[in-house]
Amino acid sequence: MTNGTETTPAPRREGGFEREPARRVFAGELRESRIHFKEGQDEKSPSFVLLPTGARCNRVFFVGTLTEKKKQGEQNLFYRARVVDPTGTFFVMAGSYQPDAMQQIARIEPPSFVAVVGKPNVYQTPDGAVLISVRCESITPVDKETRDQWVLDCAAATLDRLEKGASTPDGERARKEYGMDPSIFRKMAYEALAQLRL
Amino acid sequence: MDFSETAERISQKVTSHGHAVEKTAIETKLRRLVEEFGVPLAEAERTVTNEMAREFSISGLQSGGPGEAKTLDALVPGEWVTVECKVVALTAPPSPSISQTGIAADQTAAVRFVVWSRANAPALKEGNWYRFESAVVDQYRGSVNLKVHSGTTIKEVPGKGTIKPVLSPIAALRPGIASVRGKVVQEWEATHDRILQSGLIADETGSVRFVTWKEEGRERLNPGTVYTVFYATVDEFNGRLSLTLNTATVVPEEGDIEVSRGDASFEGAFVHLAPGSGLIKRCPVEGCNRVLSRQNYCPVHEIQPNFQYDLRIKGWLDNGEETREVLIPRAGTESLVGMTLEQARELAENTPLGMDEVFLRFRDALLGRYLSCSGREIDGRLLVSGCTRLRFQPERLADLLNRAGGSA
Repeated sequence: MTNGTETTPAPRREGGFEREPARRVFAGELRESRIHFKEGQDEKSPSFVLLPTGARCNRVFFVGTLTEKKKQGEQNLFYRARVVDPTGTFFVMAGSYQPDAMQQIARIEPPSFVAVVGKPNVYQTPDGAVLISVRCESITPVDKETRDQWVLDCAAATLDRLEKGASTPDGERARKEYGMDPSIFRKMAYEALAQLRL
Repeated sequence: MDFSETAERISQKVTSHGHAVEKTAIETKLRRLVEEFGVPLAEAERTVTNEMAREFSISGLQSGGPGEAKTLDALVPGEWVTVECKVVALTAPPSPSISQTGIAADQTAAVRFVVWSRANAPALKEGNWYRFESAVVDQYRGSVNLKVHSGTTIKEVPGKGTIKPVLSPIAALRPGIASVRGKVVQEWEATHDRILQSGLIADETGSVRFVTWKEEGRERLNPGTVYTVFYATVDEFNGRLSLTLNTATVVPEEGDIEVSRGDASFEGAFVHLAPGSGLIKRCPVEGCNRVLSRQNYCPVHEIQPNFQYDLRIKGWLDNGEETREVLIPRAGTESLVGMTLEQARELAENTPLGMDEVFLRFRDALLGRYLSCSGREIDGRLLVSGCTRLRFQPERLADLLNRAGGSA
């Protein structure tokens, strides 16, 4: 049935594929995330991590300094790496299901500026600590200018989320579940930006 | 004879009024009427339905009461409905189990309909109005569809005025039936024997591909002419829409319209380089230009050892909120990656990884970089004609520092 007067398209067409956007988030904020959830019953429906500033995030994009990489495992070889931004550390993993990313990591010598696209996961260790690591889709050496651009981009995105506050369903949920003072993240963004001036 | 379908329909009607009823009991009653007393099935259905209505004191259970007919814009898949509508187009049935297909319309909307051969329905005539009782609404390829089966009764009814189809902006098309006014802006070479014509039709809001299949009485459209297309079928295939004109009435219009060139632009980080990027081989056959496989195989012209090399980027830009697929042809690719086609060809010929080496260099040069692309948007993909790498903007840093420090 088609009626020409309807102009708002369905948000997600059934069976259609939509690529999930890669959120910009500082390490200092991602580290605080605890809640992860899945929408839809389908095996392939995307899962999300809820950021404390109030956005669901299935994928992240960040640029930072690769400071350390470690090869682990014997048969199931994988890499663990630490990527540092002005606010903290991202824990990055690339295993045999991400062969391209693994080969990329293998060729990068730390320290190096890298751009990472990946999917965040929340883990709970047996002693109750919560860890967020990013399963890497790609990790590419970049220059300092790209890193600086990302800091601007990420600060702007963080401020946008803070300004939307609890006006979105995800924002409201984050306020309720995390109960964190939003000014922490504003300060985090400010300090990240301030470092660029040096 | 199978009564379960009819019994199901009756039991649904009764249960929808909040009464419990045995489906098998209904089936027995139907069977008795039809097999013992020779009552036609439609009449038996009416009798049993009326009986149920009396038993449970439900009024208006029998479909057929005036005013119960629905409008076509209110159809929901899974419903049994009564509608009054006009047959505005008939199309060749795709299978012997279907006796007629076409498009029915009323003042509110238009839908595809299917008459099953087993329904033994009277032949519908284009242009006549009919009342369909107990037709079923379902979904076929993402659009709503009206099914006429053996339990549906069809009566010709007097016309209910002229129908003015609502014209849709092309950008707002969705699978189903739609009417549009647009200009034929491109005509493509037929890729199949059965295609009479295919191309691109555009209006102020966007463009969509169209196809007319070979069929008696169908004519080609003239490129550059504006047409009003009534009741075309909008199909979706691989996430792309296409307008099939075989169901449509196409009326040429005087004058010209301003068509959307699909101008669009997008800024964001380059987050994924898709396979098929880098150095590629194209089919040399005139007008083909398809990308060849590694074995120089063209899906249409088979092995083509005298291929032509080309460079391109396929990938995704992402601004953190939205993503956009981009396709950057050779010129933009060369300046963005800083490698000419000639250099790429030499690289591929002189390194052990061959064309993969070019892909890997592209990946290292592009991923994570902030780009601004502009071009034409077709099917949600940006065909890039201009592309630049964005640079660090110190004034943006100052603005953001103010914003972050402002109301802390």
